[in-house]
Amino acid sequence: MLLTRKATGQAAPQQRLSRTIPIAKTIDRRTFLKRSGVTVGAGAVASQLPFNMIGEAEAKNEETGKFEVRRTVCTHCSVGCAVDAVVQNGVWVRQEPVFDSPLSLGAHCAKGASVREHGITHDSHRLKYPMKLEGGKWKRMSWDQAYDEISKKMLEIRKQSGPDSLFLVGSSKHNNEQAELLCKWVRLWGSNNTDHQARICHSTTVAGLGQTWGYGAMTGSYNDEQNSKSLMFLGSNAAEAHPVSMLHTLHARENGCKVIVVDPRFTRTAAKADMYVRHRSGSDVAFLFGVLHHIFKNGWEDKKYLHDRVYGMDEVKKEVMAKWTPANVAEATGVPEEQVFAVAKTLAENRPGFIIWAMGQTQHTNANGIVRASNILMLALGNVGRSGGGCNVYRGHDNVQGATDVGPNPDTLPGYYPVAVPGSWTHWAKVWNVDIEWLKKQYASEAMMAKPGMTVSRWIDGVLEKNEAIDQDSNLRMMIFWGHAPNSQSRGSEMLEAMKKLDLMVVIDPYPSASAAMFAKVRKDGAYLLPAATQFETEGSVTASNRSIQWRERVIEPLFESRTDHMIMYQLAQKLGFADQFIGKKDGKQLLRLVKGKGGMDEPSMEDTLRNEINGGCWTIGYTGQSPERIQAHMRNMHVFDVKTTRARGGKDAKTGYDLTGDYYGLPWPCYGNAKIKHPGTPILYDTHKHPMDGGHAFRALFGVEKDGVNLLAEDGVANKGSDITTGYPQFDHVLLKKLGWWDELSDEEKAAAEGKTWANDLSGGIQRVAMKHGCTPFGNAKARAVVWNWPDAIPQHREPLFSPNPALVEKYPTHDDVKVLWRLPTLFKSLQQQAVKEEVHKKFPLILTSGRLVEYEGGGEETRSNPWLAELQQDGFCEINPKTAADRGIRNGEYVWVSTPGKNPVDGSNVRLKVKAKVTEGVGPDTIFIPFHFSGWWQGEDMLPYYPEGAAPIVRGEAVNTATTYGYDRITLMQETKTTLCQVAKA
Amino acid sequence: MARMKFLCDAERCIECNGCVTACKNEHEVPWGVNRRRVVTINDGVVGAEKSISVACMHCSDAPCMAVCPVDCFYRTDDGVVLHDKDLCIGCGYCFYACPFGAPQFPQAGAFGLRGKMDKCTFCAGGPEKDQSAAEFQKYGRNRLSEGKLPACAEMCSTKALLGGDGDVIADIYRERVLRRGRGSEVWGWGTAYGPGRPGAQPPQQQQQQPSGTRS
Amino acid sequence: MRRGLLLLSALALAIGLNACGERDQVVVYKQGKYQGKPDGLPWDSESPAAELRGGKWTKGDRNSWEDQIKQRQLAQHEHKRIYQ
Repeated sequence: MLLTRKATGQAAPQQRLSRTIPIAKTIDRRTFLKRSGVTVGAGAVASQLPFNMIGEAEAKNEETGKFEVRRTVCTHCSVGCAVDAVVQNGVWVRQEPVFDSPLSLGAHCAKGASVREHGITHDSHRLKYPMKLEGGKWKRMSWDQAYDEISKKMLEIRKQSGPDSLFLVGSSKHNNEQAELLCKWVRLWGSNNTDHQARICHSTTVAGLGQTWGYGAMTGSYNDEQNSKSLMFLGSNAAEAHPVSMLHTLHARENGCKVIVVDPRFTRTAAKADMYVRHRSGSDVAFLFGVLHHIFKNGWEDKKYLHDRVYGMDEVKKEVMAKWTPANVAEATGVPEEQVFAVAKTLAENRPGFIIWAMGQTQHTNANGIVRASNILMLALGNVGRSGGGCNVYRGHDNVQGATDVGPNPDTLPGYYPVAVPGSWTHWAKVWNVDIEWLKKQYASEAMMAKPGMTVSRWIDGVLEKNEAIDQDSNLRMMIFWGHAPNSQSRGSEMLEAMKKLDLMVVIDPYPSASAAMFAKVRKDGAYLLPAATQFETEGSVTASNRSIQWRERVIEPLFESRTDHMIMYQLAQKLGFADQFIGKKDGKQLLRLVKGKGGMDEPSMEDTLRNEINGGCWTIGYTGQSPERIQAHMRNMHVFDVKTTRARGGKDAKTGYDLTGDYYGLPWPCYGNAKIKHPGTPILYDTHKHPMDGGHAFRALFGVEKDGVNLLAEDGVANKGSDITTGYPQFDHVLLKKLGWWDELSDEEKAAAEGKTWANDLSGGIQRVAMKHGCTPFGNAKARAVVWNWPDAIPQHREPLFSPNPALVEKYPTHDDVKVLWRLPTLFKSLQQQAVKEEVHKKFPLILTSGRLVEYEGGGEETRSNPWLAELQQDGFCEINPKTAADRGIRNGEYVWVSTPGKNPVDGSNVRLKVKAKVTEGVGPDTIFIPFHFSGWWQGEDMLPYYPEGAAPIVRGEAVNTATTYGYDRITLMQETKTTLCQVAKA
Repeated sequence: MARMKFLCDAERCIECNGCVTACKNEHEVPWGVNRRRVVTINDGVVGAEKSISVACMHCSDAPCMAVCPVDCFYRTDDGVVLHDKDLCIGCGYCFYACPFGAPQFPQAGAFGLRGKMDKCTFCAGGPEKDQSAAEFQKYGRNRLSEGKLPACAEMCSTKALLGGDGDVIADIYRERVLRRGRGSEVWGWGTAYGPGRPGAQPPQQQQQQPSGTRS
Repeated sequence: MRRGLLLLSALALAIGLNACGERDQVVVYKQGKYQGKPDGLPWDSESPAAELRGGKWTKGDRNSWEDQIKQRQLAQHEHKRIYQ
């Protein structure tokens, strides 16, 4: 009928459709793989259902059962998209978008739109009950039995080898309260050997930004991009990693903002860019300084801004002009001069602008330099500290920002109080209501207490390294993976060796994770799996990348036999002997109430943790004003918040009467002072245009008052709006307050607490309150540093990756010297690089191997690959390979290939190789291979299904790229170099 | 009078697959049945890559409806094309006829065991009592009768996929075109009136652009 | 004999006309017309629970349902939330 009813133009559209489709290549990543794996799906395969059925109804009873709507936040990335979960009879039946959310406007990506799967019990791949590896098989056990055996073993090992023989890997997927409690938990155990995903994610960012201007977090927000004129994505594939952030980016672009993407791959983000630049993986410093070279050459830098607010730019300028000439830049990066100049011109002519990055900048051996080069570029353009400009750091996991701020870090206590400073311990012992002397005795010694622990990226070296070479008494003998996957750390082939040597491994996770499979592959016993609940089965707060804090309501009870993480912490603490200290029970006072959790069992109250511990102790980063009441009111009244500024236009919470006027959504930290003074939060860091009580900020006076005769504080005239001091000033403490004559503005109570204290450890918050009252920022008003004199590379340097494809460049830009002890471990740099050059590794492995993300999966991937709706979209591990590279090796699209790297299998010294499908695409250059890192469950061609507990293996399994990635760590933070190594590809 | 339509703005679609899983979630669609899919053309080709989300387009003159031997299709007053699974014989003729590949079959096999056809319902359920368990089991949720719009369009990460009344979609899209200064490059001016090349401009705006950059 | 023949013919007739009394076993298709079950109108359905409802309209009133749906549809237009 369609064909017969033909008006003149009618047939033509039909023709065009069939004409364009053969021309355009319709093979895209998802369809080409999907055709092969229709029957892979386990469980709810349609062929098992009767003809007219399409799915099982969850709550079959349609008449009875009241509906309740619980507001929560998606747990898959740091954008923080709100979700309205509809629950009926305790079953999660529906999921609705939250259009009112100022951050996400109701949008979701594939993962967020499918979070309801976490509440589905039929055919679930979750870890359902505690298990133990016995005789090579995973056997079910009871919680009590598990606790008994685990604690007995832990105490036994502790007696033999001390508390530092434990490494506790915490989680960036814990909410703030759980993360903070875990940080406390491991300290009560007596060790600093703890870490979480931030190490392998943005540790270099936090260090680099913190050392430049005081705080190591996103300076603006995703929303603030709507106020930008230019956005440069250097090391970020936001379309796949932070899809909903693209809503803001694309809206900005449609309103005239210029989008530039610099990436070795032509990604989905690059497809939406105005300008795409392909550079070599790892050459970011050269690129950034190449851009800076043109900016300085044409005098496009913001001279007044540099004079007023930046230290050391002249030194940087000298080096950039001399060293990073267009020829050098083109040689190092592969980018021709015209493109670098075009980028520089665009950025200079379109201010304010953001530079945006994620792992592309952070996962390199010189990432500390790359990140700082980005800072320097933004400082030169005068973009930092204003709406629409700065450094937008896209954090990864949903609460990696929060976990970094208050959670289990090896070198800091909650709020970045360094373990090396005794004052941090007295501060936190006070907040936690724990006896400091008792705490000191828990540690092996006071020296160990002050020494930052090992990092998660190197835990295998903690196990395998020679005992004389490590900076602690014993090697690591026991591992707890508490919400962290193993396949996100590099050198997976060596990880298997480490697992062979461990005395004990405990995995506490909603899914068994690849840890279980890897361990069972090489061991017959020695491991325990404890089912933890997901974030939908508990309440708590979560910090998004823009530093906003949102509150999650509990959607459902923990499923199967899982228990919330904080219940497990408390119960284990009971077995290990520090339960009282864990809840702050001392001298008749108890810091945290115990509330009834699943099955009537006790667990610490999340609200009390937020209020008494986080709000009570994190004065440095301003986590003190976000009381549970304030952020819960925000969650109930999202519609009053403006999207461009995230500020509430007005409004009063119907439930509590709280007045929302002036608050920024989620009270982005720093939200100084206690909740009473109603600080609105700081949406844009370092922004002096506003009064501090209005969200204004400044560069921190963290580095001293002067350096080599040059003033490090802000110049005259540079201060927050309404500030009583109109020039730079140092950090506030009781001395300064007295000198200024403001001491008597404190109440008597505040004076008692503030005497002898600084703005960072005055538990009354009085110093902060009075300073801000006068328009001053409590942490001082200083200059940002372009030169970080306390680091090996004071000015960022380009250094070739350890496994570089070009020995001539290695000669020109060698890496660092080896370090005898870095985070308690000897760390190799130059020796490895030289060895690789000598052995001509680049000839045997001529292609650059880089790894990255896919939108369907997240992190180690076991959780998302167990969700059938997501798993169906990406059924095979694959690599992206350029058509020329493929043709040279006789590889066709969709065929299996072996990707081998210089990484070695310790057992027989062979090179590690991965079996993946080849996706031939022009998206990668002829010199690069890309493999997504979310897969696990295959080991160099072998399916590890038999090693998983029954019914708890993910639906989709594939090679973990990190099995094959090689040695390489950042000089400052031991971030792993997973973005740049070498490989060779051959047909399978 | 509302006329329900979908429009996927290819300038915004980033192939996040949010629409795909939103649909799976809302209707508990089993593995192997894909009511909605995202297609990316020219993957990896600088300047030419485009993504677009495709499901049933609920055609005014639906070919599936025209060819069905048992006439199990009908169109609602809002223009939504639905069908009765109890009548469907699984012949697959609608699958041949549909230019978008919307009809899905839950069975897979070499010898024609197809099962009942399943497809996007615009979240309008099917010929069973609205919001009943029977309707959910056969056709999925009926969001329209709850006063909501298709889950895929409501959850799209970049508001690329628009779903609802055609007039409102047109208004929304028009405003976007105005702000951008140009339409969607996939089906824009060049495809409709020009040589059929994606990205072709009207003659007076022709300009040479260096590869890898776009104005 | 004749009686037997009469009986036989009567039997044959009875068998032969047997089918006339039955109903048609084949569905008669009226080409081009929907043959399936009737479907309810969205604005006419039983009011869903408040937590599931996307908005408010009067049952049976098509215009109020359409107004409500179009209002909700504007949530797909981020300008509405940004510039409201």
